[in-house]
Amino acid sequence: MSETTREPDARRLATEARDRVRFEEDALALSDQVYRVARHLVGSRDEAEDLVQETYARAFRSWRSFTPGTNLRAWLLRILTNLNIDRGRRIQRQPDQQPLEEGDYFLYNKLEETTDGPTDEERVVQRLSQNDVVSALSEVPHDFRDVVVLVDIGDFTYADAAQILDIPIGTVMSRLHRGRRILKQAMAESAVGSEA
Amino acid sequence: MCNCDECEQWMQPYMDRVLTDAERAEAEAHLDDCAYCRRRYRFEEHLRTFVRQAVIEPMPVELKQKLSELRTPLL
Repeated sequence: MSETTREPDARRLATEARDRVRFEEDALALSDQVYRVARHLVGSRDEAEDLVQETYARAFRSWRSFTPGTNLRAWLLRILTNLNIDRGRRIQRQPDQQPLEEGDYFLYNKLEETTDGPTDEERVVQRLSQNDVVSALSEVPHDFRDVVVLVDIGDFTYADAAQILDIPIGTVMSRLHRGRRILKQAMAESAVGSEA
Repeated sequence: MCNCDECEQWMQPYMDRVLTDAERAEAEAHLDDCAYCRRRYRFEEHLRTFVRQAVIEPMPVELKQKLSELRTPLL
């Protein structure tokens, strides 16, 4: 091979190495956010750790298929949710179609009526403990929880959540609507009790 | 201007900023006028922040280390 062909090759390799390093650094910088979402998509901390590791292993192998300038966090979460489904951790099921009786103001009304003394909104929220939220979230069925976790905890847009979960945006909206109400109902039961 | 039932229906889309401009204006006019819905709106804002913070579990340091080890070695 002559010097003239070797040089562009070397330059290409150097450019590729630089792009790869940049990709890996950018991906690692998002790992806290990826873990935060993963932790609530699966049942246990161990599962979440495995899933995040598998995600990064796959992402580092297939970094060339990421289009620079697009949303890397959504790209990583797409890998993660696919792996989660592939590994059978998550059984696909028909979403629960039973009508929800409670409206959006249900949780506030429940907490407010059982709060003593003068109430302001912040004080009403304080009726909830961290544990009320965590346990209520784990009670939300998977299909709804995935969307709630991506949008309300992961801060993804409806469009990103639709892409990550490979479902239509209308489905994201209806599952989010339902998922948030199931979550609120579970928080109300956890904080006030189902009898209150 | 919408009524309280419509405002309740629109509360989450309003907070997600996905209402149309006209719906948004209607919801805001109602919230300006109705203390009942305004209290519930402020509650929802506090609730969202609280839920987001309540579920944060710090990522284990060992996991971060393991992820770094997955990187492609430099030649």
